[in-house]
Amino acid sequence: MRVPGGYFGRALVVDVTDGTAELLPLPEPVLRAYVGGAGLGTWLLHRLAPAGADPLSAEAPLAFVFSPLVGTPLTTSAKFAVVAKSPLTGMVNDALASSHFAIAGKLTGHDAIVVRGRSPRPSVLLVDAGGARLVDAGPEWGLPAAEAERRLRERLGRAWRVASIGPAGERRVPYATVSHDGRHAGRGGLGAVLGAKNVKAVAVRAATKVASAHPQAVLDAARDLRARSFGPATAKYRELGTLANLLAFNAISTLPTRNFTAATFAEAPRLAAEDLAELRGVARNSCASCTIGCEHIYAAKDGKGVRVEYENVFALGPMCGVSDPDDVFAASARCDELGLDTISAGGTIAWAMECAERGLLDAPWLRFGDGAALLRALDEIGSGEGLGGLLALGSRRAAEIVGGGSAAFAPHVKGLELPGYEPRTLHAMALGLAVNARGADHNRSGAYEADLSGTLDRLAGGRAHVDAAVETEDRAAVMDSLILCKFLRGVFTEPFSEWASLLSAVTGWDVDGTELRRTARRIVLAKRMFNLREGWTPADDWLPERLLTQTLEVGSGRTAALTPERLRAMVDGYYAARGLDADGRPPEAALEDLRLEFVGG
Amino acid sequence: MGAPKAALEWHGSTLLRRTVGIVGRAVDGPVLVVRAPDQPLPPLDPGVRVLDDPREGLGPLQGIAVGLAAAAPDADVAFVCSTDLPFLHGAFVRRVLAAFVEGVDVVLPDARGHRQPLAAAYRTALAPRVERLLAEGRLRPAFLFDECRVVRLDDAALLADPVLAAVDPALDSVANVNEPADYERARARPAPQVTVQRFGTLAGDGHGGRRTLRAATLAGAAAAAELVLDRHVVAAVNGDRITRDGETPLAAGDTVSFLAADAGG
Repeated sequence: MRVPGGYFGRALVVDVTDGTAELLPLPEPVLRAYVGGAGLGTWLLHRLAPAGADPLSAEAPLAFVFSPLVGTPLTTSAKFAVVAKSPLTGMVNDALASSHFAIAGKLTGHDAIVVRGRSPRPSVLLVDAGGARLVDAGPEWGLPAAEAERRLRERLGRAWRVASIGPAGERRVPYATVSHDGRHAGRGGLGAVLGAKNVKAVAVRAATKVASAHPQAVLDAARDLRARSFGPATAKYRELGTLANLLAFNAISTLPTRNFTAATFAEAPRLAAEDLAELRGVARNSCASCTIGCEHIYAAKDGKGVRVEYENVFALGPMCGVSDPDDVFAASARCDELGLDTISAGGTIAWAMECAERGLLDAPWLRFGDGAALLRALDEIGSGEGLGGLLALGSRRAAEIVGGGSAAFAPHVKGLELPGYEPRTLHAMALGLAVNARGADHNRSGAYEADLSGTLDRLAGGRAHVDAAVETEDRAAVMDSLILCKFLRGVFTEPFSEWASLLSAVTGWDVDGTELRRTARRIVLAKRMFNLREGWTPADDWLPERLLTQTLEVGSGRTAALTPERLRAMVDGYYAARGLDADGRPPEAALEDLRLEFVGG
Repeated sequence: MGAPKAALEWHGSTLLRRTVGIVGRAVDGPVLVVRAPDQPLPPLDPGVRVLDDPREGLGPLQGIAVGLAAAAPDADVAFVCSTDLPFLHGAFVRRVLAAFVEGVDVVLPDARGHRQPLAAAYRTALAPRVERLLAEGRLRPAFLFDECRVVRLDDAALLADPVLAAVDPALDSVANVNEPADYERARARPAPQVTVQRFGTLAGDGHGGRRTLRAATLAGAAAAAELVLDRHVVAAVNGDRITRDGETPLAAGDTVSFLAADAGG
């Protein structure tokens, strides 16, 4: 089998029930069709996940998927995707992260490492030149992911790179993360999938090298991209980090506040990067192979450093009505320790705060704006005590239990809690959030870019917003499969063509921008097909009732209304633009392009 | 005037561009511009609909008829104004529209001692009636008002709105320019006072916080705030639509937020 540059042409599939492993060939047509990362991971799910399998069952696979760019000097390329059926949504889920784990994992000689089965005891899966094997995770079980990672590298040696789960993953909280190097493959509960397999961590050690088809071209491209990565398009991430969004979003009524009862937060300035960076900023870090350096570390009250991003501050701050930076930093650190997705944790707690204030939950201590209550709620999620069992289900399932109309304000799509982008004042993003395969997420649909670009009226969703949602979803599909960091997106002027050039240099394929656009559509469709297989219905491509029935007023006095009719028209437009039928299902002819003929293997 | 009013320069933009922009910010529906056949117009936002008035020389009612008929499918009520109102404020437009209640056909400001039929609000269903008046040769707006239910707003009634009273206490919104001297005087007045705030990376080097300055357009505000509206900078006026169009008009009391265009994360 011919193997293109940048690939090994195989995945390692490990059954942790008994530690056995087998190689799954990845034919070149599949690699070219899905590239890597989220795309290839979706194909692997089609190939390896039994239809209808419980995500937390032994038979459900979880894949660490690398990409052809990993191991090259291209900036931000040290990324990987963790892909599985989500226990939170019951649909396809891919979460990306950046670290040396990506490089060491790929250089074990595999384009993906797939874990399935269930270990009889808490274990660590090791993969290196010697293949796969399991070791006891007893000493690390119960530890925060970062501590487990540190101890494992002490035990195994510094050449090992470790992705670990925290206590929340062990307890199978369906929004638990997979963590490594202080970063998280955060959304959709992949930590619970690993925890359900009794696998505390996966450790990898590089064993080989991988060659690019045109090394000089890759080097030249890397130099060029590196230079561009220092330009104004990345200045925001470099200088203030994503927290720079917070005060700006507040100014334009786009900051979800108190469980989407408002889009501005009067106390937002207390959490603003513009001031906190000066008062609390202590360090700036970069992911492996990254020249941007978006990671900003702030000092918490106890003196420890906390990695602060817009999404964790939004979710644990304004979303819960909490404005004390020490409370927000402490809550963020608590999520890191437990291995919890901050967006889902914050969203679920904000929903619970509203339930408590409405008398739907008997928890008088749980109130908007109370930082201590926020921390207590997180502790209970971690321990399973008190309200923890309920809140650990996520807002969708918790609302089904609590009832009382609370589903109308449970802040999720497909079960995944909404990120910090107010759909009523960002109509392109509203559509992106509604239709995306992963659920409500800002990394798989970046349609907010169009809303915030000035090219359309963000309060008047229509045809232009549909086009923007399709385009940004396509771009995300390619970036998440190459994989390149989205913080680079502003440096590309002809993204599909430029990405195709990078891919050509690494693989030797004569791929161009047109082919990569088709690749994007294929990946988006393949995700939708997986969801269809797992029980998706048209009702899943929708937003919470609150967002469609309660209006907002922006600073100018204009009313921001996202009505069911407007959303329906945009969803219908999206289906048409994607070549789907009126119910969002693809025609038979479209399926021929998916390369699923290789699924039967 | 010696020159078409629509194209008169206004702080780097044009009078028509300003009027269209101000009205557009104050209404929910589309903005329509009625012009004489083949009359050249300065560049306008692509969302503005330009209508050709088929008949010249019939006075303001003719333009009103064309505009109301075209607006009728989208709106029950339309604010109608001439292009030569360099100090028209969105608060004035909103105040007039707010007086429109059930049973009313026209809200007619009677400001600064004059009736203001070209700074008034009309029910779009009046279009056929206006056409009839035109056919009868009754070309003055007063003929229309005689057979309509009209709410008149004098200075006191207009300024009862605290927002309008704060931003346009002299009701300059209805000050028009008919002679070159009017234009020169208007142009010589200082630009409106607005508040600007730079966010994120744009707030670095001591540029954070709110700042008051004078600017008639977004480009003017950007320049005064030491910014260039390039692909990395966008702005929102009063927290509303995002734009990098430098000709976006500003009015007294506006707040301009300058944001890094590279949103996300």
